[in-house]
Amino acid sequence: MKHADDVEHLAECATCRQRFAGTIPFQTGERLARKREFAAAAMRLDRERGDASDVVARVLRETPVAEWPRLADRPALRNNAALEQLSDEVRKRLHRCPTEALAIAKLATGVAELIPSGIYPPLVLAQMRANAWKDRASALRYLARYDEALNAVAIGEQHLAPFAAVEHDRAIVRMVKGMVFLQTSRFDEARPILAECRRVFAEHHDSRRHAHAGIAEGSVLYEMSRYGEAQDIFTGVLDDAIATGDIESQARVHNNLGYCLTHLGDYARANIHFSEAIAKFTDLGFFAEVPRTERGAARVLIGRGQADAGLAYLRAARRDFGSAGLIEEAGFCALSIAALLVECGESAEARALTQNVIDEFTAARLDERAIAAVIRLRDDIDADGATAETVRTVHAFVESLRDEVCGVAN
Amino acid sequence: MIPPPPTPSVVESLPVLVRADNALPVIDAEEFARLYEANCGLLVSLAVRKFQVPFGDAEGLAHEVFLSYIKRRDEIRELHKWMIGAICNASRHYWRQHSRNIDQLDIEAASTHADPISAHVTDWLTARIAAGEALAGLTPRYRHILRLRYYEGYSVPEIAEELGVTAKYAQKLVTKCLRRAEEFFNASKPGKEK
Repeated sequence: MKHADDVEHLAECATCRQRFAGTIPFQTGERLARKREFAAAAMRLDRERGDASDVVARVLRETPVAEWPRLADRPALRNNAALEQLSDEVRKRLHRCPTEALAIAKLATGVAELIPSGIYPPLVLAQMRANAWKDRASALRYLARYDEALNAVAIGEQHLAPFAAVEHDRAIVRMVKGMVFLQTSRFDEARPILAECRRVFAEHHDSRRHAHAGIAEGSVLYEMSRYGEAQDIFTGVLDDAIATGDIESQARVHNNLGYCLTHLGDYARANIHFSEAIAKFTDLGFFAEVPRTERGAARVLIGRGQADAGLAYLRAARRDFGSAGLIEEAGFCALSIAALLVECGESAEARALTQNVIDEFTAARLDERAIAAVIRLRDDIDADGATAETVRTVHAFVESLRDEVCGVAN
Repeated sequence: MIPPPPTPSVVESLPVLVRADNALPVIDAEEFARLYEANCGLLVSLAVRKFQVPFGDAEGLAHEVFLSYIKRRDEIRELHKWMIGAICNASRHYWRQHSRNIDQLDIEAASTHADPISAHVTDWLTARIAAGEALAGLTPRYRHILRLRYYEGYSVPEIAEELGVTAKYAQKLVTKCLRRAEEFFNASKPGKEK
């Protein structure tokens, strides 16, 4: 091995680290005091983690959701271990129930702000508070409350601002800001933030977050219709994800590469990437992601005039949504297929498909207004009065009913 | 007519890197202290030598890196890589912050003081020009030999190997080159006829 002083080599070579470190004298007294502070703080955090067991899960289980804000007064929660557990609880609920995730994140920020200074070194306390505000920002983002999410990010950043050595934490907080900008179509602001986060994660060898930042940055470029550049970034992320064995990132990147290549007109390679994504999601047991990927592939292919390939994916998505018990989603796929069939003059098959949807929706006791709309569509097809536009109008109406229900639930 | 293409999927949550059954390896205070001792010098050296952070501030930055490590300990897979990344980023952040605190240059005041970089320029400029002219007067081979000996730091046996001659002859060549350069140098000094 060739020895050198560059940081990449120093990270790998113990001999060179020792040689490089030996050139600087050290201030014994001050360093000893700092060493003691570090060891004491590390021991404290470890001890708290050991003592906390599942305190947060238990307290949340035993307390009605409406009373969660009052839990901030509990001394048992005012420590780093409890905050870490609160963070885990937020993460678990982000997809499933973002309103509960937000309630827990609010509790966590309340707890973090109440911890008096002096218990932890100021830098560690700042990390604890910043992480709580980052979780709150994430929950707000999931609820599409973007301005509040950006305010929460700003508070997290303020906590970290006095410290130089928290660039990793800063990037984790700022990643939420980048995602908010991506979701609110502020692409010019999102891109530099996500690129910077990606660099910081790479330098800290945080491969998973590095992949996530890469996927987000590629998505920004995709949304800006810069498909070639997005493809380059996704390809780099895919290579990294393969090197680190991160199957989930590989699946998502394959899916995204499928989108980019479809827009670039390379349908054969797009198809390979979609197939890879589906295979990997299947291997991971992400059975809801499989039909979503198939439906996404179908939409983008049909959008680019590749009706046959798109139809094949739509049929697969309908089958897989049905297998997963997602009857409504399977019905939406059927309506998309019906629209294509009507457009091609295949009315008999379109009619049979709408009848299947009626039967499935009825058996699943879905909204009667949705069932009535599909019955009307079937009758229109029977009377030869349905166009592809009619089918799409019914599709949009049924989808709006579902959104209405979700809106009430939230 | 056709529904718009959906947004490609983005990983929505940022899960921790490694949290194996929530159990961290048990480390006692002495081991934490040893970890500090074993790595503090490296971090300070990196800040000082790679980023020219003043020594006292570099110690502070290294300490901050250790403190920030405590909170992330359960998700860091490769300690040295993470710490080196952290100190490099901390040093860059240090300079970003530090440069903001530098006072604006007062042009009028600056014009009344000599620039420290060029204050003693007259002491060496003439000799430097003469040396340049002396070297320019040599043949390319002689210039190459002097460059190897006095710029690249080759030893006489290494020059011999480079030129494919004996060490004794290489020594003769170096002496000869020096003599020729000296002749040109003396001839190019101000007040002398070339």
